[in-house]
Amino acid sequence: MTRVWGTVVAAVLLALPFLGVDDYYLHLLIMAGLFYLLAAGMNLLLAAGQLNLGHTAFFGIGAYTSALLGLHFGISPLWTLPAAALFTAFVGCLLGRLTLKLRGAYFVLVTVGFAEVIRLVATNWMDLTQGPMGLPGVPPFNLGAERWTLVSKRDFYYLMAVMAGGTLFLTGRFLRSRVGRALAAIQSNESLAESSGISAYSHTMLAMVVSCALAGAAGGFYAHYITFLSPELFGFQNTVTMAVMVVAGGQGTVLGPAVGSLVFTFVPEFLRMAAFYRMLLYGVILLLVVMFMPRGLVHYLRALVRRREPSPGGGASDLSLGPGSAAAGGTAALALRHVTVRFGGLAAVDDLSLELARGEILALIGPNGAGKSTAFNVVTGFQPADAGHVEFDGADITDLPQYRIAERGLVRMFQRTSVFPEASALDNVLTACHRLARTRLWELVLATRAQRDEEARHRRRAQSLLDFVGLGGKAPEPAKNLSCGEQRLLGLAIALAPDPSVLLLDEPAAGLNAVETSELMRLIEAIRGRGLSVLLVEHDMKLVMGLCDRIVVLNYGVKIAEGPPAEIQRHPEVIRAYLGSGEILADA
Amino acid sequence: MWAELVQHIVNGLIVGGGYALMGIGLTLIFGIMRVVNFAHGEFFMLGAFFLFTLFSLWGLNFFLASLASVLAVGLVGAAVERLVLRRLRFAPIEIPMLATVALSVIIQNAAILLWDPSPKTIKHVFSPLPITLGPIHVVSIRIFAGAVAVALIVGSHLLIQKTRIGRAMRATFQDTDMARLAGVDVDRVYMFTFAFGAALAGASGALLGAVFWVYPAMGDLAALKSFAVVIMGGLGNFLGAIVGGLLLGVSESLGAGYISSGYKDAIGFILIILLLLWRPQGLFGKKTLPR
Repeated sequence: MTRVWGTVVAAVLLALPFLGVDDYYLHLLIMAGLFYLLAAGMNLLLAAGQLNLGHTAFFGIGAYTSALLGLHFGISPLWTLPAAALFTAFVGCLLGRLTLKLRGAYFVLVTVGFAEVIRLVATNWMDLTQGPMGLPGVPPFNLGAERWTLVSKRDFYYLMAVMAGGTLFLTGRFLRSRVGRALAAIQSNESLAESSGISAYSHTMLAMVVSCALAGAAGGFYAHYITFLSPELFGFQNTVTMAVMVVAGGQGTVLGPAVGSLVFTFVPEFLRMAAFYRMLLYGVILLLVVMFMPRGLVHYLRALVRRREPSPGGGASDLSLGPGSAAAGGTAALALRHVTVRFGGLAAVDDLSLELARGEILALIGPNGAGKSTAFNVVTGFQPADAGHVEFDGADITDLPQYRIAERGLVRMFQRTSVFPEASALDNVLTACHRLARTRLWELVLATRAQRDEEARHRRRAQSLLDFVGLGGKAPEPAKNLSCGEQRLLGLAIALAPDPSVLLLDEPAAGLNAVETSELMRLIEAIRGRGLSVLLVEHDMKLVMGLCDRIVVLNYGVKIAEGPPAEIQRHPEVIRAYLGSGEILADA
Repeated sequence: MWAELVQHIVNGLIVGGGYALMGIGLTLIFGIMRVVNFAHGEFFMLGAFFLFTLFSLWGLNFFLASLASVLAVGLVGAAVERLVLRRLRFAPIEIPMLATVALSVIIQNAAILLWDPSPKTIKHVFSPLPITLGPIHVVSIRIFAGAVAVALIVGSHLLIQKTRIGRAMRATFQDTDMARLAGVDVDRVYMFTFAFGAALAGASGALLGAVFWVYPAMGDLAALKSFAVVIMGGLGNFLGAIVGGLLLGVSESLGAGYISSGYKDAIGFILIILLLLWRPQGLFGKKTLPR
């Protein structure tokens, strides 16, 4: 259904110049296309939660680059336009290196400032840009030779149609694939994304570079279409227009920026009738849009045209998980060697050594403040160690970033924020399959057969994992609608998705009732049955004593006991550490 | 040589006081409400235009007119919070941000319609002759502006540290839910915070408007600079906004004097980029970046 509508709209748009449409309207459509390139790029970065309110700087950089190359070296726009896109992407990459570590409001304000600096450079660097007087006489667009110069609005209209179509295709492929899922995951829960093996930095950088390249291409087009440039290109107002197009259209969606740029190119034109009150009315419309349709027009259109959810596809369960049985490797699966973490003068973890054997379930217990969580955080790269090493599969992983640790097959489940709340249960697990992807970026863009097969495989895997934890029927449900116990199970499925060899569980039974806890125990046992090793921190002694092969007891950051449950229950120092709570141990 | 340097620094400190006022308002609003106020420059502009109207057009007493202008800007701020931002409190961060962008378009264009775009001066009551202190010359309106800025900064500090509403603001800043549980009327705190932040911007606009020019777009650059100030000082950090404001004022004054006046307005952001390389969390920000 959607496809039919898409074809009809595309055909009408392509036929417009032959339907006697006035040049004035063709010009508006060209400008809408131009703003679409800009809005689509902004939308891509916003998918990861980063709003670039200096986007117009990249538009301007692209325009000046293409124009100056043409003016000074007489190179055809056919070459200067891609060069402008590349150069702009390069500038975006530089700015990204500096700013992508910033989040939220900081990123927004720094990008605003960047655009202002570039505007001042364009105004003051007279030799290069001729300053506020502007740059007239930019050569018009030609297709490689003077004879093939684009003159009419119709020519430019088709050139823009090609560029906008390409942008729609490219951003569509990104947003509806694992890249889009990764970006959404970074926005909704960055820690969980990283611990599932998704690098927040490299994905936001990819979005930034693509977004800047699109802005550079739009700038190049503008330069040769209007043939006059001035520093006003860098004005904040331009960025505001783009942002409004993204939000009014529907941020995070593929079609949103397209709808938004069409509507918000034409609305200000109609407002010309209001003469003096035009900008005032424009502001009022902006405010109403932001206040009353923050989710965007596409959201309301979508309610009219129901989309078909791609089903995970039936067929046999396709669950590869763990090595199958405990491999009798020589080294331990995971080892801490003399790890120490200090907070000020206090040693939260003091010279802790422990080994997790392959296929073992090991619990780390101790009274509150014993250093269990800190030890956990060191293993997963959340907290740097002041001394000592963490070895995984015999390799030192002490100072690796979180996503690298996850990539190697050591994955943690968080205690509280263990899901991506907005996404469906299936998408939650699918997102975490990221590490298993083998296809390259170009394959993803071109949707090669290998890439589509991989996507289908991961979809089946995600469904199988949901079945495995008993949430098979909840696949389309948004994670935030699941109960606390169900969210914990979903968290487990997410942790299993990257096919780890070692699983770290942070108080998996906290907040669960007795029935849910025994279901969880059954699952952890089943996971071990597939050859995974499990390290868990837990207060629920029933779970610890009933499930674990061995227990390590911490008190004040020091290991005070280690051994099988029966031994630990009788250990005098453990009983002393728990004071009266020795009874709890005896209970189990 | 030295006299010139000191002169630049003194001029910078006076303008910096105005930036600090802007910055405090912005940083309080962000710290407590998690809203980046893109209409901050418009409150600055309104402060100047209210003073122009009350004093230059209607002939009210200068000091009375200044006070009334600042209060009026506070009222506009309270209205904006009540009618717009309160409805968007639980939306993602970019939504209230874009709402303030829209508000800035509305207020600025309303100002163009009300007062026409041509720049105006406020013929204040101070003598145009400079006061000379050794080799330094400062016109008295600038001394007045500097003194009022200092008084307002100290006053804001006392308000936050010593009063009931200040305590409620600090509680809301730390943990909104806990504050609400402890009986703080969070709605009132939000409204007061936004009105107070707007009034500080208005005061800054009235002071600098009396020193320089008054025109509808005067807030654009002022807003950009207050952004620079709060990033330098760390978003939500009171002391950071003061130091950031003074630092920006002085470095602009020195930059314009010794390097190039064309790039004067870029200095703040160049400082920020250098700062980001060294301390991404701002001068006084905590090590962890707020989301």
